[in-house]
Amino acid sequence: MEANNRPGARDAIFAQLVDAGRTEQVTARLTDAIILGVLAPDERLPSESDLARRFGVALVTVREGLAVLRDAGLVETRRGRGGGSFVMKADAPHSTLVQARLHGLAQVDLSDMAVYFATIVEGCAQRAAVRASPPDSDRLDRWLRDADFTTIAGARTSAGGFYLELAVLSQSARLVRELIRLQAEFGPLLLLGMTDARARLSLVESNRAIVGAVRANDAASARQLSTEQVRNLAEWLMNAKARIERGGAWDD
Amino acid sequence: MTETMTDCAAAVGAFFAGAFAELDGWRDDLAGGDPTVRPADLDARVEGLARPALTDSSPLFVGAGFIAAPGYVRGRDIHFAWWLGPQGGNPLLGSSSSATRLDLATRAYADYVRNFRTLEWDQVPQSTNQTHVTGPYVDHLCTCEYIFTLTMPVRIGEDAPMVGVVGADVAVKRLEQVLLPLLLAADGPMLLLNDVGRIVVSTDPTRPVGDMLAGPGHPLTGYNRAACPGVDLVIASPAHPSQT
Repeated sequence: MEANNRPGARDAIFAQLVDAGRTEQVTARLTDAIILGVLAPDERLPSESDLARRFGVALVTVREGLAVLRDAGLVETRRGRGGGSFVMKADAPHSTLVQARLHGLAQVDLSDMAVYFATIVEGCAQRAAVRASPPDSDRLDRWLRDADFTTIAGARTSAGGFYLELAVLSQSARLVRELIRLQAEFGPLLLLGMTDARARLSLVESNRAIVGAVRANDAASARQLSTEQVRNLAEWLMNAKARIERGGAWDD
Repeated sequence: MTETMTDCAAAVGAFFAGAFAELDGWRDDLAGGDPTVRPADLDARVEGLARPALTDSSPLFVGAGFIAAPGYVRGRDIHFAWWLGPQGGNPLLGSSSSATRLDLATRAYADYVRNFRTLEWDQVPQSTNQTHVTGPYVDHLCTCEYIFTLTMPVRIGEDAPMVGVVGADVAVKRLEQVLLPLLLAADGPMLLLNDVGRIVVSTDPTRPVGDMLAGPGHPLTGYNRAACPGVDLVIASPAHPSQT
């Protein structure tokens, strides 16, 4: 079924995992989603069996992962009717955890993730511009007008949702699948810049320009604009990492 | 227009007619329903119709069910009774060997549901009181496949308002299985196009599936066409193959 407003970044959190170190992957995926604000405080996670099915791992792996998150104070388990695992309310933003996560990743790996992410998004945008029909362009335009970029959480969801819209317009099921997987792995980090109001404004402008290029069936411009957009997000992330490594805070 | 083109168009028409015949039965079943229906009873009834169609040996549908209009199910804005066929390595849902219910609650669909009334698969049957085929499109919400969505309005009584749509998702590759051998039997390149001019099945390697052959901005000229009966799709073939 088709939707007008697709909150893709959130669904991607629970997308399937690759093989190695599965408990660590469950932990990393959910930790990123919580500390970077994709999953909101007090939100209930899917059930353990549902998580196991959707991640494509054993139930015991999910339980181990959730135990790590409980120990880290990121989720709590409530018993009884309406129970389950809930995202903990944080008094302060999970700033120190973001700090630790960015510090723990090598610059070269962050850079490489950005290259790969950009390659997929560029391909989606280029194909979308080649293949969009006029009604497709109208829908994309309306989607962007209705999307919320004014809040941090809204901007994260909408930014990821826009990439997914482009992937859908590419008419490629594989590109859609790969984008979903990639957003799950790297989306929350890449969109860390959405905490910055100026970065949010610039992203909206960039998305508007991409819609224009798609409408004009201008594949080269759509590609170029998405290259620049992901490069800006990656630069923001690299700057945050550099601030941390110099002993400052990522959101200084 | 050649005889082959007419045959291909008829085969596409028959393919969709077969799918809609299945939905006809579901609509009749649900239209005979109790207007004060309880959600659990409605769900059980829809599951009884959808599950066998999703799990037979060569299922026509990858997803199917009933979507109730706002207010039809007590206390619900809209109500999805939708099942998905067995999924092999679905990136969103994981793998499953049997039919599973589409669970909106765990999938952050608030925005989706809010925009429900503007969706083509709902809006067109609502305004025309006719069956409708949406697509093809990549469905990233349910199956992550390239599909058509077929919908049919359900009314309890002839002039009554629509209480919802019965519907089914059909994979493009399922249609291709039936149509490609017929297209390949033709002498020249043959294409199946949807209502906006998007290529659905093609025997012309320079015109791949998903591309637009023609649209409002670049009309379909130089092609012979045969309309597929009962569905807004068209078989097209270059009038002079050398010009492709």
